[in-house]
Amino acid sequence: MMNKLIFGRYIPGDSLIHRLDPRAKLIASFYFIAVIFFANNWQSYAFLAVFTLGCIALSKVKISFFIRGVKPLIWLILFTVLLQVLFTTGGNILWHWWVFTVTDYGLMNGAFIFCRFILIIFMSTLLTLTTAPLELSDAIEYILRPLNVVHFPVHEVSLMLSIALRFVPTLMDETEKIMNAQRARGVDFGEGSLVQKMKAIIPLLIPLFVSSFNRAEDLATAMEARGYSGGEGRTKYRKLDWHLKDSMVVVVFAVVTILLILIRN
Amino acid sequence: MVMDIHFEQVGFTYQPGTPFEQRALYDIDLEIAAGSYTAIVGHTGSGKSTLLQHLNALLKPTSGTVTIGERKIIATTDNKNLKPIRKKVGIVFQFPEAQLFEETVAKDIAFGPKNFGVSEEAAKALAQEYLNLVGLDASYMERSPFDLSGGQMRRVAIAGVLAMEPEVLVLDEPTAGLDPKGRKDMMEMFLRLHQEKNIAIVLVTHLMDDVANFADYVYVLEKGALVKSGRPVDVFQDVTWVQEKQIGVPMATEFALRLQEKGMRFDRLPITADELAEMLLAGGGVK
Repeated sequence: MMNKLIFGRYIPGDSLIHRLDPRAKLIASFYFIAVIFFANNWQSYAFLAVFTLGCIALSKVKISFFIRGVKPLIWLILFTVLLQVLFTTGGNILWHWWVFTVTDYGLMNGAFIFCRFILIIFMSTLLTLTTAPLELSDAIEYILRPLNVVHFPVHEVSLMLSIALRFVPTLMDETEKIMNAQRARGVDFGEGSLVQKMKAIIPLLIPLFVSSFNRAEDLATAMEARGYSGGEGRTKYRKLDWHLKDSMVVVVFAVVTILLILIRN
Repeated sequence: MVMDIHFEQVGFTYQPGTPFEQRALYDIDLEIAAGSYTAIVGHTGSGKSTLLQHLNALLKPTSGTVTIGERKIIATTDNKNLKPIRKKVGIVFQFPEAQLFEETVAKDIAFGPKNFGVSEEAAKALAQEYLNLVGLDASYMERSPFDLSGGQMRRVAIAGVLAMEPEVLVLDEPTAGLDPKGRKDMMEMFLRLHQEKNIAIVLVTHLMDDVANFADYVYVLEKGALVKSGRPVDVFQDVTWVQEKQIGVPMATEFALRLQEKGMRFDRLPITADELAEMLLAGGGVK
């Protein structure tokens, strides 16, 4: 079930993109998502597509991976595109029936939205495929740090985040195990009517919650026994280092932005 | 119907066609006869758990054929109508206490039988019967499974699988994490079931003493391939080979080996304490 999910997974590797500082990657991906909305003509989208493909090539991860990452979302994307195509007014009318109008302007907009979706998914997949979850949570902690001023519990949030990330695979394994155990006891998951399907989830959900509670209790005890007493006065084992290549990312993105502004209408 | 399980050239790959692809089993041929007691051993990560999930079609082979009773399971078999198999082949997974979920012990044990179409009343009677069998009295019937101790939860979970009255019972390290008495009680209970009800047992374990004491036949797995099979007496004779595979030898065998180093002679190495004692009493061992 989870095997098909590529989006949000990490593939260990050793490429330029893998070695970048996670803060640089995180900020760059968010920035890219913002910047993509500047694009408004063919040339600018083509430019961004080339740039994205360049980044993917640098990561040495197969492009088929990214395409597979889009697959689960393809219907949502096509639905949005279809709405855009059918309901946009303005420009030359090519086809008209009842409330639906297809115009050349609408078609173009649909195509742009399609590109925008794909590029955003590619970029965020690139981030998660090349950045280990713990690196990501370190980066988020660093970026959120200024919020300490307004008494936002940055340490607690980032601790929760790293624990949550650490336990995602463990919980997935556990889910799989319990599912198998219940299947062996005659439960059919995902078969029958909606009500039957919902009922079949109970023997999975309850043990999962119970084991999460037990796990949380054990983990809290183990942390206290090892002297954890909150964020105050802690040192860090994993230190993030900002190198020249990370500064280069900033420069590259600045150049991309300037070029984009020149290219757009 | 006789429930034989038969593996023919079974191979299995996790997540085929992705970079996470992982080959877990290679061309496994094995046979589990009705009413037999089979042990499957191997180092951690040798594919034991993957193999046992093939025994009731939780996993389907990516190559080869698994025949369970009359049913042939191949890569393209669809997931419908596998219930009859699951009823005949019960699996007790590692740490089965994690599968408890009902409000009362009685309901949880009756859950399996009810899924296979046993009536409410009959299921309750089964729950009572198997709760006794695993060594808990009727006062536990209406208690919440989550109030029990770890060992008691394990018993309830096992009773839940036994209540389906399977013809083949697959046990994945059933005694892991139990105290010595609990371990002994449980292994003896399985042996009783095997002898009295003629249930075939497949035991996956790291404890070679259990293999020596109970199993009629043993399969040794290494890195997803079957490297040896035979009666435990024969498999454990080749001590150096067994130790090379990091699966260990029974205590009695190890002890006999030490005696041999001190000059005693054995025609063949004993694998259980009783066997060793007999050999020593017969005097055949003394130089």
